[in-house]
Amino acid sequence: MADDETRWIARARAGEAAAFRHLVDVHGAVLFRVCFRITGDRALAEDAVQEALLSAFRHLADFDGRSAFSTWLYRIAVNAALVQVRKRRYLEVAWPQGEGDAAVPFDAADESPTPDRHAMSAEISRDVDAELARMTPVERAAFVLRHQEGRSIEEICAVLSLNVSSAKHAIFRAVRKLRAALEAPGEPA
Amino acid sequence: MNPITDDDLVLYRYRDGLDAARIEQIAAALAESPALRERYAAIERAIANFDSQDVEPDPDLGSRLWRRLSPQLEEAGVIVSSSRGMLEHLRSWLAPPQARFAFAAMATVLVAIGVGFVVGRQTVTAPPQVASNEVEAAAARVLEAYVAANLRATEGVLLTASNSGDASLLEGNRELAQSLVESNRLYAIAAVRAGNTQLAAFLRQLEPVLLSLANQPGTATIQSSEDLRHFLDSTDLLFQVRTIEARLDRTGKRRADHDGDSRI
Repeated sequence: MADDETRWIARARAGEAAAFRHLVDVHGAVLFRVCFRITGDRALAEDAVQEALLSAFRHLADFDGRSAFSTWLYRIAVNAALVQVRKRRYLEVAWPQGEGDAAVPFDAADESPTPDRHAMSAEISRDVDAELARMTPVERAAFVLRHQEGRSIEEICAVLSLNVSSAKHAIFRAVRKLRAALEAPGEPA
Repeated sequence: MNPITDDDLVLYRYRDGLDAARIEQIAAALAESPALRERYAAIERAIANFDSQDVEPDPDLGSRLWRRLSPQLEEAGVIVSSSRGMLEHLRSWLAPPQARFAFAAMATVLVAIGVGFVVGRQTVTAPPQVASNEVEAAAARVLEAYVAANLRATEGVLLTASNSGDASLLEGNRELAQSLVESNRLYAIAAVRAGNTQLAAFLRQLEPVLLSLANQPGTATIQSSEDLRHFLDSTDLLFQVRTIEARLDRTGKRRADHDGDSRI
């Protein structure tokens, strides 16, 4: 960990508002990207980042410096994003919205009349979106961490509290769902 | 050689989760077999679709996060701001019930001494502040007892919703959740007035959960119960409800014991 960051963390531990603000500015965007990849929704991602930072700052005394501060935050943020996705799924099932509401995490593709190729592309995009929405939070998180975040399966196990077999299978299921969307465009999933 | 599955190809794609010998086998097989190459390409195409789902945070993200975080951090006593430092220290010092009681007792003694000094020079009557303090303590005891009972009922509602598949039981549970929403809101307001912002914040956090249970459709599915279980597991909500419930019970008992002692 850079000395500079160590100093900021020490100042934050002393309760200095400017230090917290600095840590938000430095880490907020990175955490937002990973949370968005897991939630697929800007608002949920922002809520997840906010919850993660709040939790991290409240438990700053627990950060022992064995891992990088960014790694520690990252792990908290991934789990905060999972909580947001589960909360949304629970609320959607328990309290369903009308059709067409923003219940599906990814915006539906543009449905205005377009040339054939555009229509086909939009159709595939919709199928992919639907499959993404069908992934369980853990499948999506495991796949995002492996594919987009470049984390090893070992790291994914640590972040998501999974064993190696569960982490691998979560990734396999996510890829199968993506393939199903691509290989059967237009067909009801 | 073991047959190469699509799952093997996924791991090969990331060169992760396979030993070096297996990676070599797959690489050799890919070089030899057009059919395997086609299967691998299909996986690559599927994965590539995911890459389009990305976003850049907007430039105001940091400021927006900070606007939301700073009051919460101040309320939690994590930030010691220059303007509110003393107030926050005092508030956090006063937050635990024992300290609050000690402060109240000390204040009562000081007020009683002051009042006694002034009033004693004119007439001999009991200091009114003592009676007022007893009333406040009794009110706090009543609030805590009611909130504890409300939390016990909330715990029951959450457990029933997450564990029961019985339609009639869920219907009753929904009605109970509806009644709890209103009382929960009232207790949150009462807690704010009593100066217990932590309890008020916790009760407010319960409200959306109670609302969703109160509005659950009659055809609640197994999936909704499972999602609720996941939600409860991931947020530790049940644990928090039980902890606060137990804490209120303990505080109430302590107050009752103290009142009993002071009357002897």
